[in-house]
Amino acid sequence: MTTTATETAAMPVYPKNFLRSLRRQNVFTAFAGGIVGFLVMRVAASLFFRGEFWHGDSNRIITVAFIGWGVGFMAGIGAFNGVFRWFAGKDLDHAEAEYMAGKDLGVKRYFRYTTDHKVVGIQYLVVTMVILAIGGTLAMLIRTQLGISMELFNPNTYNSFVGTHGVAMVVGMILVVTGPIGNFIVPMMVGARDMAFPRLNALSLWLVVAALIPLVMSLFMGGIRDGWTVYQPLAIQAPPGAVGYIFFIVIFSISTAVSSVNLLVTIVRMRARGMTWSRTPIFVYSVAASVGLALPFFPFYMYSQLLALSDRTLSTSFFIPERGGSVWLYEHIFWILGHPEVYVIILPGIGACLEIMVVFLRKPLFSFRTAVVGIAGIVALAGLVWAHHMFMTGWAPLAGYPFMISTEMISIPLSLIVLVMIGTMWRGKVWTRLPMMIIYAVVFNKIIGGLTGIFLSDVPADMHFHGSMFVTAHFHYMLMGTGLFGAMAAIVFWFPKMTGRMFDERLGSIGFWTAFVGFQITFMAMFAAGNLGMPRRVFQSSELFLLSNQISTVGAYMIGVGMLIFLAALISSWKSGVIASSNPWGSQTLEWQTPTPVPLENFPVLPVVTSDPYQYGVPDPYQVERDLETQKEPVA
Amino acid sequence: MSQDLDTSPPPEPPTNRPLPPGDRLGTFLARPYVKHIAAIWVVCTLIWVPIAYWLAGNMGAGPAASKLMGALKETVFVFTLVSAPLMGFVLAVILYSWLGWGRVSGDEVPDLKNPAIKGNPIAVTIWTIVVSFLAFFLVTWGIVEYTVVNNYAAGSDNPEKLQPLEVHVTGQQWLWSFSYPEQGGISSETLFLPHNRPVVFKATSKDVIHNFWIVPMGVKIDVNPGAVTLAGVTPDTLGSFPIRCAELCGMHHAFMQTQAVVLDKADWNSWLASMGVTS
Repeated sequence: MTTTATETAAMPVYPKNFLRSLRRQNVFTAFAGGIVGFLVMRVAASLFFRGEFWHGDSNRIITVAFIGWGVGFMAGIGAFNGVFRWFAGKDLDHAEAEYMAGKDLGVKRYFRYTTDHKVVGIQYLVVTMVILAIGGTLAMLIRTQLGISMELFNPNTYNSFVGTHGVAMVVGMILVVTGPIGNFIVPMMVGARDMAFPRLNALSLWLVVAALIPLVMSLFMGGIRDGWTVYQPLAIQAPPGAVGYIFFIVIFSISTAVSSVNLLVTIVRMRARGMTWSRTPIFVYSVAASVGLALPFFPFYMYSQLLALSDRTLSTSFFIPERGGSVWLYEHIFWILGHPEVYVIILPGIGACLEIMVVFLRKPLFSFRTAVVGIAGIVALAGLVWAHHMFMTGWAPLAGYPFMISTEMISIPLSLIVLVMIGTMWRGKVWTRLPMMIIYAVVFNKIIGGLTGIFLSDVPADMHFHGSMFVTAHFHYMLMGTGLFGAMAAIVFWFPKMTGRMFDERLGSIGFWTAFVGFQITFMAMFAAGNLGMPRRVFQSSELFLLSNQISTVGAYMIGVGMLIFLAALISSWKSGVIASSNPWGSQTLEWQTPTPVPLENFPVLPVVTSDPYQYGVPDPYQVERDLETQKEPVA
Repeated sequence: MSQDLDTSPPPEPPTNRPLPPGDRLGTFLARPYVKHIAAIWVVCTLIWVPIAYWLAGNMGAGPAASKLMGALKETVFVFTLVSAPLMGFVLAVILYSWLGWGRVSGDEVPDLKNPAIKGNPIAVTIWTIVVSFLAFFLVTWGIVEYTVVNNYAAGSDNPEKLQPLEVHVTGQQWLWSFSYPEQGGISSETLFLPHNRPVVFKATSKDVIHNFWIVPMGVKIDVNPGAVTLAGVTPDTLGSFPIRCAELCGMHHAFMQTQAVVLDKADWNSWLASMGVTS
């Protein structure tokens, strides 16, 4: 990030006319454009639908106003420049494209529509942190209410906290590895100069930002009172603020599709010379699997919300039973996304753990093929299990049999990945740095999440656990304990490459282990509450569950403190950490073979790959002994 | 390199025959870390026994109030114990990796001289077989137990083969109401049930989705607007049990609770009489 005088002097002279408008556009003009678009469309909709200059909120008016926000924001950031230029027959010239890629290397490029994947990665990191911070704050409020027996919030406010917490965390978790690490590291890991479609890359990021504002606004307009699943027809009762959720999901789904195509094409087409599939790092596989799942399944989420929006604004009745709609229809469309989404979240986290542990154990991956088979198995089964969320809906009791079978089958590929993890640890001295320590925590959480998942996949056991706090604790073990903690390992690990500085591991460890202990307290107590029979998403619980809820709340505060310490470590190391060398971990993947800070196009000379990136360790003495006994050539 | 190896049998004269599989297993088991991990494994597996008892014992905060709930408790108990060895093994390996095989700290990239183990077909095969077998067991248990539970719900477990009592369950924001069509359509906001007689619940909702959950009886079914869903149970314990809504249904979802009261024959008849039903 250091701009030397010579670099500035060598900057090309841009043509004045268009560049001036390009230069003026940044995140501030985007917000200005968004606000103008929102207000103009708000007034226009009021006049059109009600004949008044400013009518109060209604579904139609808010929908139109949000569309105005989205278009205004994207126009303000400059997302349409290229499109207009292309329609006009004059695409960006070289100097303009270089300006868009952030050739000037200034700080300002982080605040505008920059196509460089490294800038987008950092932007994603910050946006994800903001989303997780929103979700985390709401979690603290939720736990505070549940830990005391008096009424702290209005129940509707509480319900909207629960809903917003859910959706913010789900989206934050989807982004937290694939966004920052996927965009910053994956192109370098496969030896490319940038993503396949750099402008789409910037588009996917700014779409998320554009979508985020309506979600936050909805909190102040009645909120999402129906959980992140927004089951119909309850959601129809919610005030117009719920349109913010719909808008968020629709735009986020588009962003996901754009980003997925981009990553998939980059991974499939742009790997360095010699990087065959058997030499491609396992993290790249897991990201490909994750976005490969997101691409076909996210549209279902979008459909479900578009149909719900249509019920709200166009008087249709897809999900309104008294007018012939079906509540099961919504549940199906929602969960066809809803379960693959879990794998979209945890696969990159698990892949990152596999990639990282190799470096700290200085051993090759125990079995690369087994890991790939495990990931492929999860992808293959992910789309066939959604109805286990609907065992107790009365939709089709006999369908419990096939969905129970398919769900329990997923434990086989998942356990293959666990085998690779423990096989890689087998007989290895360990270099005890923070990312590796986090991985132990991740494997532990994965065991607990896996066991409780077995209960929930089984219809008879689910008859007790469905809809209880037990489910909440289970998916927090999977999404937070495995996904988020895995992401924290990934962030600490790739931090030196992304920021040029080492992560403060002392402070980071204190933060992480505080959060880890708090996590166990919170969710073990929540398992207990759910097992006793406490339903999910309740505002207050009976005396019976008060103790376990109080324990949970204490644990949750510990998580909060731990996460804040971790965040402080992240920010302070980013500002003033020890300057990192280009390869502080001695890793063999390509992104570490280029200088830090990373030059604009990543590699001075494109690398050629001659082996897989796991050439660690010395020949296994037992193996040598065995080979001698069987008169084979010892493996080198 | 030889001090790394602690093969207990004395070295044999060189031969070009492979070691018999039994000997290989013997040399494997004789390695010290294998013994240690085996010991930790046993401990880590045994931890799950009290957890299984605790989980099954506290399901629904007390003893089962129907045979159906007993079957659910049994399932949770068995599943925990069956998966305990596998979880215990993973736990043992990560513990041993953390503490047992040695560790190095510091900023410099260390040269750990770890063995480059790349694949072990035997381990992968054994693991896959064990996990598949476990999954097969879970699926089979699930299928059998689900059938049993469905039979219980249909009233197969009542001793005198009585006709099921039909109860209509209506959910609305935010209260439950129950009506008894065979008893002249009397209705109540507390669920009264006769002891040891099968009950069939026909549930529907007036507004949004609720979930009808009699916690200690293991009855749980979504209550949907525009559809009737079925559940059933034979209560075999006298007493009063909580009913909760287990599907977010709006503002007062948390308070959408009532009681299920199981009455013996005399009390049941006197309750019916108090409601104006002559039997």
